[in-house]
Amino acid sequence: MEEKKLNEKESLELITQMIKQSRKNIAVGSGNRFLLYGYSAVILAVVVFALVYFTGNRLWAALWFAMFLPFVYTTLYDRKHRPTVITYTDRMINETWKVIGTLFIITVLTMMILGYVVGSVNFGLMMPLALIYCGIGTSITGLVIKDSVLAYLPLFGLIFAIYMLMTLPALHTPVTWHLYFGISFLIMMVIPGHNLNAKCRK
Amino acid sequence: MLRELDPLLHSQLRLAIVSILLSVDEADFVYLKEQTGATAGNLSVQIDKLAAAEYIRVTKEFVGKKTRTACQITEKGREAFELYVEALKEYLKL
Repeated sequence: MEEKKLNEKESLELITQMIKQSRKNIAVGSGNRFLLYGYSAVILAVVVFALVYFTGNRLWAALWFAMFLPFVYTTLYDRKHRPTVITYTDRMINETWKVIGTLFIITVLTMMILGYVVGSVNFGLMMPLALIYCGIGTSITGLVIKDSVLAYLPLFGLIFAIYMLMTLPALHTPVTWHLYFGISFLIMMVIPGHNLNAKCRK
Repeated sequence: MLRELDPLLHSQLRLAIVSILLSVDEADFVYLKEQTGATAGNLSVQIDKLAAAEYIRVTKEFVGKKTRTACQITEKGREAFELYVEALKEYLKL
């Protein structure tokens, strides 16, 4: 393309062509991120459940903090692999998950500080809260990219969050909660993630 | 009387750049080069002209060892583009 003058008709044609072309060449997002977080949660759920159940030591539940590892990995990956184009949809999704991520950090810090002040803390509360935060984030992403499975399936996963909140014990959470958490992530992220990838392949 | 077409936008490559940036939030130099088919030198010159007029915002950052030049349309650029399209419509009696 040169720096040549155009007539009015050519200008209008060029604008239409460029907008159409750039939209056509934009890849629709994939479900890989959901699969990364979803499978991480499912694997951790089984591991934590098994360790707590068979050893009787509830401290193994601290392994849930390993859920921050996929976050660290994706952050480092994104820094090294910046996309050549960022759409308004990408920006909206990124900002949504930034807010959700911040919410996680604030929640953990608040629980730690309050736990220190009060003298005890039940990190089990993180489970229903994480389900609510991630469920909302996934649903918003689904709405933005117009994927009804991604938008509505997380709502079923939230049933476990409501159950957990309604039966929240004062100190120790039941060991089965780890499995419920894993099942919720399977419904909330793994199934929609695979569905989204299948759609993208088509 | 027909209004004058913005000379900064009334050029093939600059108009192409602004049209692309209008449909995305941010595009880097590589993407713009691929979409427009322009040479790196020419594209760089036209990006500088648009940036000097504050029609686009250019940010440079390091990704690994390489420099990444990202471009975004500004509010001024968006308004200029709208006026340009309005003027085109008048010329073409649309």
